[in-house]
Amino acid sequence: MFLDASGLMVYYENMLALNNVGIKAEDGSVIGVFGSNSAGKSTLMYMLSGILLDIKKKEEMRGGERITLLGKITLDGEEITSLPPHERAARGIVLCPERRRIFGESSVIENLRIGSYLAPRKDRAGDIEYVFRIFPRLKDHIHRQGGFLSGGEQQMLAIGRALMAHPKILLLDEPLLGLSPAYQKIVIDSIREIRAARGITIIIAEQYARPVIPVIDRGYIIENGSAILEGTKEELMGNPDVKSAYFGV
Amino acid sequence: MEILLFGVINSVTLSLTALGFTLVYGISRLPNFAHGALYVTSGYIVWLCVNTLGLNYVLGIVVGIVATAIIGALMYRLIILRIRGMQISEIIATYAIGLAIIEGLRWGGLRGSTFTLPSFLAGSFEIGGIAVDYQRLFVLGSGVVVFAALGLFVKYTKTGLALKAIAQDERAAMMLGIDSDRKALVSFALGSGLSAFAAVLILPLGSIVVETGYNVLIYSIAVSIIGGLGSWGGAIVASFIIGFAQILTEVFLSTQYQMVISLLAIIVTLLLKPSGIFGKQKELDDRV
Repeated sequence: MFLDASGLMVYYENMLALNNVGIKAEDGSVIGVFGSNSAGKSTLMYMLSGILLDIKKKEEMRGGERITLLGKITLDGEEITSLPPHERAARGIVLCPERRRIFGESSVIENLRIGSYLAPRKDRAGDIEYVFRIFPRLKDHIHRQGGFLSGGEQQMLAIGRALMAHPKILLLDEPLLGLSPAYQKIVIDSIREIRAARGITIIIAEQYARPVIPVIDRGYIIENGSAILEGTKEELMGNPDVKSAYFGV
Repeated sequence: MEILLFGVINSVTLSLTALGFTLVYGISRLPNFAHGALYVTSGYIVWLCVNTLGLNYVLGIVVGIVATAIIGALMYRLIILRIRGMQISEIIATYAIGLAIIEGLRWGGLRGSTFTLPSFLAGSFEIGGIAVDYQRLFVLGSGVVVFAALGLFVKYTKTGLALKAIAQDERAAMMLGIDSDRKALVSFALGSGLSAFAAVLILPLGSIVVETGYNVLIYSIAVSIIGGLGSWGGAIVASFIIGFAQILTEVFLSTQYQMVISLLAIIVTLLLKPSGIFGKQKELDDRV
């Protein structure tokens, strides 16, 4: 699946949150989106997954914040700019959101079952088995409520839940947020595994590039809503400004 | 013994009447103030089917439940969908619809106590010297069956799981491909159908009067507030609290105080634990 978004602009009232950002994700590639807090990473993810359309609709309904969305998003040449999030999910774009948004009152297994809403019923058992193979820790807590899991376990569950929906393009919004180095490694390893085994295109938004950079093919640097730099992994690593700002070297 | 028996029956009856309200609020955070009106409407539809159209009683009941579910779905699609997320508007709109339905029925001739539905099972039997009619027993049994069926529905079916997901985090559910507006419509239709189901079970115990609509609404709200808004387990516990409180007042005081007790229970709950027994107040962001 080839995702191509161009000219994305987002205004919250008069504040420009995304300024003419374009992002391309080729089939089976892993793309990194790096930027500091409030750079526009989550807005970009919400834009790609269509959640922003829903937020805009609800804000309009209650006469709240005016949100203006511009730009064009295509998936394999088909324009999906105005498709609501559930239809984008049905076409394979699944967002694993920032702060995980686990269903806290449902058990681990039930979270996964809810995740399989779009997938055929016959695949469910096998998919759950697959998620437990990547994240064996989840299997230990299979009947524990999602809300009682640790942050790292919740992140594994969130990724697992997204996988249950058979994504073709998986959007990971800050998957390493608040995770210990050990958990960061598990998550990064899982990204490698998912890519190798399922050929899923993955877009990762992260604040710190260092743990993510080994698994990506290309990356974007976003600052104040603008994509200031774009390049392959090597190009990004070779850039001295990027190095100091995002690798902490 | 008498208190225990009738307390249980009364409690299950209450939880059945409140079930539709709790279900819709639990899933969509939508306070359906037309709940009582739908309850009366379904009873009236069944009465019309049986007495005016001359349909078979069972068929009439099916028509009544389905028709009420459709009315609920239309209500959601045509009116509530436009004001989703604005709680005050939701309350005003659903209450206005309920008022219009109830007073419309009154204006249309639903007055007096001439509108009655026959019991499914006539006769009664005795437990330990207390006479219990079969209809009440039937209410008790159906209540248990409906709760069990709903429990299985939300645990094992795709739609049920999707409803559970929306109840917890609508936006996360959307990301997984769940159409939340469609599912809210389903929950509203289901809630309306359940209130109709409760009505056809319970109405044969008395006669169909429009005031029932208001009483059912108040009881449902009382049950929801005491149990914690949107909590199904809480609603059942609260039904038992109010159910027994009502029977106790009936035995030791007088029947007139039944409504007072429910309202008093709301006030006490709001004073002591405003979120209800099992309630969790969610942030506004989560709810919308």
